[in-house]
Amino acid sequence: MLEIRHLTKVYDDGTVALKDVSFTVEDGEFLIVIGLSGSGKSTLLRCINRLVDPTEGDIIWNGVNVARLEGEVLRESRREMGMIFQHFNLVKRSSVFKNVIAGRLGFTPTWRSLLGRFSDADREKANTALQRLGIADQANKRADELSGGQQQRVGIARALMQDPKIILADEPVASLDPVLAHTILEYLEMLNQEDNMTIVCSLHYLDLVQRYSTRVIGLRDGEIVYEGSREDIRAMSDAEFKEIYGEEAQRITGSISGDLEEAKPGGQA
Amino acid sequence: MNTTLQHVPTNKRPTSFVPPFLAAILSAIVPGLGQMLASAVRRGIILLSSFITIVGLMAWRIKLAARRDTELFAIIKKAYHLQPMLVVLSVMVLILYIWIIYDAYVIAKDSERTPVFLFFMILAVFFMLGWQIGDIDPIAFVTKADDAAPALSRVLWPWEQAVYYPEEHILGTFNIQVPCTDDLPQAPEMVEGEPYLSSTPACGDLTTPDGVEGTMLSVRGENFAPDVAVQILWEDPLGNEFRQRQEGEYVMVIPDANGIFEKDIVMPYRLLPPSAEADTYIWQLKGKQLASTGDAEFSMELKLAVEKIVETIFIGMMATFFGIILALPLSFFAARNLMSASPVTVIIYYLVRGVLNVVRSIEPLIWAIIAVIVVGLGPFAGILALTVHSVAALAKLYSESIESIDPGPIEAIQATGANWAQTVMYAVVPQIIPPFVSFTIYRWDINIRMSTIIGFVGGGGIGFLLAQWIRLLDYDSAGIAVWFIAITVAILDYTSAEIRERFI
Repeated sequence: MLEIRHLTKVYDDGTVALKDVSFTVEDGEFLIVIGLSGSGKSTLLRCINRLVDPTEGDIIWNGVNVARLEGEVLRESRREMGMIFQHFNLVKRSSVFKNVIAGRLGFTPTWRSLLGRFSDADREKANTALQRLGIADQANKRADELSGGQQQRVGIARALMQDPKIILADEPVASLDPVLAHTILEYLEMLNQEDNMTIVCSLHYLDLVQRYSTRVIGLRDGEIVYEGSREDIRAMSDAEFKEIYGEEAQRITGSISGDLEEAKPGGQA
Repeated sequence: MNTTLQHVPTNKRPTSFVPPFLAAILSAIVPGLGQMLASAVRRGIILLSSFITIVGLMAWRIKLAARRDTELFAIIKKAYHLQPMLVVLSVMVLILYIWIIYDAYVIAKDSERTPVFLFFMILAVFFMLGWQIGDIDPIAFVTKADDAAPALSRVLWPWEQAVYYPEEHILGTFNIQVPCTDDLPQAPEMVEGEPYLSSTPACGDLTTPDGVEGTMLSVRGENFAPDVAVQILWEDPLGNEFRQRQEGEYVMVIPDANGIFEKDIVMPYRLLPPSAEADTYIWQLKGKQLASTGDAEFSMELKLAVEKIVETIFIGMMATFFGIILALPLSFFAARNLMSASPVTVIIYYLVRGVLNVVRSIEPLIWAIIAVIVVGLGPFAGILALTVHSVAALAKLYSESIESIDPGPIEAIQATGANWAQTVMYAVVPQIIPPFVSFTIYRWDINIRMSTIIGFVGGGGIGFLLAQWIRLLDYDSAGIAVWFIAITVAILDYTSAEIRERFI
């Protein structure tokens, strides 16, 4: 269980990214965070695994206050949280396999990893993860040779290598075509349902939110302005969505015949 | 289209302070002043400063062309006489002057017009000035090409100098007594395999000053090298050597395939000082041959050039090596993204950047001169000079590639629970290795090019030889050095491009 209590983040330049944010994520939830660019979604997700240090507040992850951790213990907590990024954040010049197996770094002694000597079990695990995401045949290619959708799958495979209990997905489909968005989210849904991983994901499209989320929170200017259950969000109309989300909100259809032209600008907002 | 949205460019100046005619007069007194007062201030300033510069340069060139004269008119007359280009220039300056006056009139009259052709005229004057100052003489290409051709052809094809045939003097001697007496000195024994010279008779009289011909000698040589010219020489009783002449030509004979030759010569005229007078003299007859004694060998010059080109390559390599070692740590201090954390690091950043920029702006040749002063002539000075320059250049390039790394992967690797060393190894290093390798090879390429030249100022390597050979007018050897440099640079060019392509 993840519990966020009174989380506040003020950046060095004075920008207030999060203001007293509190919410709870039960195990097995698919929580979607919606909000405009700059509303604090990314900061919130990065506070959870401490890529960003919160200014105030607590992050209780299975009884441990991640906000207070440092060094080795912090890294051990990070291992339990997989992260997926909007721009995939792969090392472009490294091979797909090397990118994926980097997910085991937290479990590998430093000297072994510096020599690139991962255990056979880890290698096997990487192959399984690649297979599971349908990119086993791309393992030896350079990461930047892959298409966007494939790169994001590499990102998911890397996160999977950590055997995470929770996956933090920072706009995982915002750089992808709407059609691919469904594919990626279906993978996340699979992990959510089959592996019982908790998912915290930020998203832009109402259709996707309605389709995949079990719960939704809305952020605006660093504050929670909306919190709703699966039923609430399914009943939500475009007008309501736009009200919390802003005028940029777009609806996309899941089919290939969907209006890609219309969908793209919303996705990149 | 909505007309109100259209952009109307406006060149309109404020109206002139002075009437057009006055503006023209003002510009006639001080070129550009009329324009300034006609509200085209910047134009006026540009015209004034250009005109002053042009007139100043003209005055300098005229004075330089007639440096002995003192009187103004004489100076100008002589300068025009010696340098016709100055006449053309003077005419152009005059046209420019009138044009500026006219321009002032136009500018003051019509505030919307800004003619630009005047500036082309200024450019043209500067071009002609440059031609005159640069002493440009295209005719020299044609008229002097013939003089350069022999030297150039030796540089272009110097390979005759690359091989050397070992040679040795083959000498046979025979004593001739002057004048003939009854007891002649014993003729030496012929030794098998040694060159042997003999003459019949073994004595005789020299040609006299009055023109009475001397004794005719039948000279026979044996055991000489076949088919190689033999010089016939004399050594007089005082030990002076001179060559036998016959009908105005030096006598040369070519032995047959068995090394035997025969030649009739007339004993020459030679005046001896009275102190050397005696009853009989021994004159030594000599047959001298310069014959090759073995197969072609590589010449000294070629060997030297090979040695020095190897030295050159290693100067470049060592400089690159030291450059990398020193530039790596420096580059981190010169990377803005790493140094923007606190005011102290920012100051260090600017300090390092500043020093690097200054060091880089000084040419390696200058550094080499300084290094030669410090450590003396030789390759070490070259290595030092190139190292200094490489450090500055590499540190800049490295730091720029550090600045341009993508922070995304760093974040992603940190999120997996990796520690600092793992993050650097898996997120930073893969990103900076390719540009580092590429820049390093590029630098290596430059360093080897530079090391071929650094010898000109004493920094070791083949440049040192090249400079020396050029000064000795030994164009064949210089040609060898030039070829070596060209071949090395070409190979290097190709390999470095090839390697860099693989890495990017």
